Amino acid sequence: MNNIFIDVDYAQIYKHGQKIGGDVFLLSRNPESNKIVCTLSDGLGSGVKANVLASLTAHMAHKLSFSPIDLGHSAEIIMNTLPVCRERKISYSTFTIADIHYKENMENINVRLVEYDNPLALRFQGCEPMSWQRDKRELQREAAFKKEVVQYSAFNMEIGERLIMFSDGVAQSGLGKSLPLGWRSSGVQKYVTDLIKNNPDISSRELSAAIVQKANALDGLCSKDDITAVVVYIRRPRKTVIVTGPPFTKEADEILGEKIRAFDGKKIVSGGTTALIVSRLFNAKISVDLSCWSPDVPPASKMAGIDLVTEGMLTLSRVAMVLEKKLPVASLPNDPVKKFVEILLDSDQIHFIVGTKINEAHQDPNIPVEIGIRRTIVGRLRAALENIYLKETSQEYL
Amino acid sequence: MKKEKVQVKICVGTACFVQGGSDLLLYNDFVDPAIIAECEIEGSSCLNACKADGAGAPYVEINGVLHSKVTQDKFCKLLTEAVKDNA
Repeated sequence: MNNIFIDVDYAQIYKHGQKIGGDVFLLSRNPESNKIVCTLSDGLGSGVKANVLASLTAHMAHKLSFSPIDLGHSAEIIMNTLPVCRERKISYSTFTIADIHYKENMENINVRLVEYDNPLALRFQGCEPMSWQRDKRELQREAAFKKEVVQYSAFNMEIGERLIMFSDGVAQSGLGKSLPLGWRSSGVQKYVTDLIKNNPDISSRELSAAIVQKANALDGLCSKDDITAVVVYIRRPRKTVIVTGPPFTKEADEILGEKIRAFDGKKIVSGGTTALIVSRLFNAKISVDLSCWSPDVPPASKMAGIDLVTEGMLTLSRVAMVLEKKLPVASLPNDPVKKFVEILLDSDQIHFIVGTKINEAHQDPNIPVEIGIRRTIVGRLRAALENIYLKETSQEYL
Repeated sequence: MKKEKVQVKICVGTACFVQGGSDLLLYNDFVDPAIIAECEIEGSSCLNACKADGAGAPYVEINGVLHSKVTQDKFCKLLTEAVKDNA
């Protein structure tokens, strides 16, 4: 598993009263070619026409970025394909493409950025804004009344760095209302600096949502344009280990304890007998929390050094069911399943340590059939986490 | 001298929970509060009884004595007796 995670997310609010946006954001992760491409495009105007133009631009940019053509060349192709507005003599849409490459082990994250007419992207190391060299190229198109400038840059991103891209809806928010010249890039930069200062680990999802909401607030909660913000954040992955089932041999208990102790991240123990083993190894007391009763799953327990201790098969099957049906976490009752799912969704990499000892008590014919085989349920969990929630998972047997 | 409370452990392992243990956890609803006041009730992630004797889940341990196939009625009776013995 990699020790670096590239967290990309975006947030968007359409122009007030519109059901469709003229800002389009596309994101593709392509692990085979070690590439992530983000494209943000803003179509002229708003509503359906703008959406069609922006989608057209974004998809073109996206497809070309995955082809072996040089990024500069692909930008020219896009520009030449884009129509120019007959009345206003300006381009129909603008774009920013961030083409992120990385080496096998996620080191050397290299970004190539192409910016055309969108507000310029911002970069931060921690909460410190960074500036970098941009290379300007001018392009004269036939029907346009002036030369157009496309800016290229390439740089490496280190851990803790963020790249923030946004549409003019953000930079121009509050224009003529709360702020005479709008929020402007400098205002966004200051706001983001403060946000990161207060919450250094703020996720891309939260940061992009905060920028967009602030811009909407400056517009008096009645956005004047489509507002979109994209955040790319390079950070250490959040890891979780799930320990379920006693090891096949008693001698392996000690190995299990070592593995849990050495793990850097959140720890979940799922299974009554497993919890007993861990409690003996760690010399920590388990106390079952009888206060929250649920008809579906046994109560959770508390143990020092472990973030969550639950019962095994029933809880895991419910968790698998919740993940597979994509139930929203907020709608779940306050039981161990909810806590379990919350931890999973907050993690980037999830490791399963599966004990293979057979539980004789589960072989009783009186036991309901839902109590399946541990390995099957872990398989379902992994499939759901990888396919629906795009998490990285791994597993080992003991 | 302060009297020791009756120590009660309800198993909430998978096998016990699905075979009636979940009902026992609602003890506040069917046991006399005066009796509960005399007991210290806690859960146990597994009493390790199901694998040993196979007498039948759910299991409850009262003052170190293991009881099997405990229903709500049986639970009431056991607690009442235990509290009486303890007095």
